Amino acid sequence: MNSPAATALIADDEPLLREALVRLLANAWPQLQVVAQARNGREAVEQFEALQPAVCFLDVHMPGISGVDAARLIGHRAHLVFVTAFDQYAVEAFAQGALDYLVKPVEPARLADTVRRLKERLRAAQPALNTEALLQELATRLQRTTAAAPLRWIRASVGQSLRLIAVDDIDFLRSDEKYTSVAWRDGGAPSEALIRMPLKELVAQLDASHFVQVHRSVVVNLRSVSIVKRGENETADIHLKGRSEVLPVSRSYLHLFRQM
Amino acid sequence: MSFNAVTAAPGAVAQVFGWHRVRVVLFASLALGLLISVGSAATPVLVWIARALIVGLGALMAFGVAERWPVRLPAWVGRWFWQLLALVVAVPLAALLAYWVTVGGNPQFVENPARFIGFAQLSFAGIFFGLWIGLGAMVRQRETLARDQAMAFELERSELARQALDARMRLLQAQVQPHFLFNTLANVQALVEAGSPRASEVLGSLIRYLRAAVPRLDDSSTTLAEELDLVRAYLELMRIRMPDRLQFSVSAEVEAIEVSCPPMTLLTLVENAVRHGIDPSEDGGRIDVSVSAQDGRCRIRVDDSGVGLRATGDSLGTGLATLRERLQLAFGREAGLRLTARETGGVRAEVEFPMPRRSA
Repeated sequence: MNSPAATALIADDEPLLREALVRLLANAWPQLQVVAQARNGREAVEQFEALQPAVCFLDVHMPGISGVDAARLIGHRAHLVFVTAFDQYAVEAFAQGALDYLVKPVEPARLADTVRRLKERLRAAQPALNTEALLQELATRLQRTTAAAPLRWIRASVGQSLRLIAVDDIDFLRSDEKYTSVAWRDGGAPSEALIRMPLKELVAQLDASHFVQVHRSVVVNLRSVSIVKRGENETADIHLKGRSEVLPVSRSYLHLFRQM
Repeated sequence: MSFNAVTAAPGAVAQVFGWHRVRVVLFASLALGLLISVGSAATPVLVWIARALIVGLGALMAFGVAERWPVRLPAWVGRWFWQLLALVVAVPLAALLAYWVTVGGNPQFVENPARFIGFAQLSFAGIFFGLWIGLGAMVRQRETLARDQAMAFELERSELARQALDARMRLLQAQVQPHFLFNTLANVQALVEAGSPRASEVLGSLIRYLRAAVPRLDDSSTTLAEELDLVRAYLELMRIRMPDRLQFSVSAEVEAIEVSCPPMTLLTLVENAVRHGIDPSEDGGRIDVSVSAQDGRCRIRVDDSGVGLRATGDSLGTGLATLRERLQLAFGREAGLRLTARETGGVRAEVEFPMPRRSA
């Protein structure tokens, strides 16, 4: 790091915010050369590889490859500063991981602190922090906050088209070898759809207090059950609200319908 | 868990021969015994009472058994008829039994016409009283059933009210995400600092958005015109933020714009299209909003040309699920929300609900 002028890359999908950061940096660190501006994570990585800037300012939330994922690809070859809008999870994780970060709208005082730290590191020719483990943890953590919600919609084919079906609209699911057939209400009218996922896999993601297995190949939404009729030989039939299908209950699941 | 099993409800036996019924039968038998004994000086009162009791309990037994057995009757035989028939058949048999017991063996009606008259009196009086009491029991039972149903209905209604409240609470919490607000403010600040004349225009959009989106606590519905304003403000803000990635159009038929709808109906669809369609796409895309009225129904359509319905893993659904709930609470089964993958890529979201009548 003998070159007098440090170089930087700024990645943000919002052009006004890129320009704002360029302007703020021009005040806080006049010697810094912003050599590249990227609109998303992919461009950020490409431009980093081409220009090898010493510092990368990465917006966390970008289309395609996120800021965190781009940071993992850049690794410790540059000093990284994350930029994020109000985002509790990310900010907590950055603070805990001793990563540099800025919160949008960026305050000049806070930026001045960051610039001072970066300058020190560059002057001491310190290698950038090896953040791989940290970033990996952060990436999974950010993913989890978005994916942890229970399954509310499933994508299924109805005839030729792909539909998003609300899980609450499903009456029952029947296993059909590699597929699962979905009996649901399309605006109240009984309909059928197909989903390319085995029943077992699908059931694991459904709310177990509403969806119960009543047969090896049948899972029913309890809210759709109208009556359960006892049959011979420890079996029963389920009749549904507003549907003509009758579903079998096999012996091993009959205990679900014993009187309370 | 709630489902109705056809098999007997809990406590059915207790209900069929419940203390209330036994008490009524004991009292009626006592009265019947006393009544008949008045006209017959030869036989002691207690014997008459004993006979009447046997008849009464026999009738109760038949009535109760016919209430549960057989489980299924042919469609043309009403349960009430079956029960009363059982009662009418059972009373003379019970009367015969009563005589058999009280005289200690064959009552020998042929040799003893006075006894036969007594038997006939007991039978007819038993049938007469029994039918009235049986009918009374049925009416009473029906009333209990109606009361139970009314209670279940009331319960369901309060459940619905609670759901409506829940949905409102979630709506209030969901409105104006801090992430959106701070990002937008950062853009406004950038414009102000750059001395751009667009700053005040953007602030104007933000104010319009906030005015509509910050909850008005007493409002349970807005008009589509207000929703359209809100959506335009929102889309203009988003276009400032991603000018190279978002184009949009908003169109509405005049007939539809005064229609009222649950608040945030349109905005939820548009926010969803931005968040899950346009924002994740490097190249962005278009959002086309259209509102139309047809055959007394209002149709809202939001098309985007974004990344489409993607594999599981994104949080798609929280906003839409709440919207679905709110539409159901407002319109019941009359409202529909459907999401379809478009052949040209992206997603079409449609909401349909009945338009209220003009006079309403």
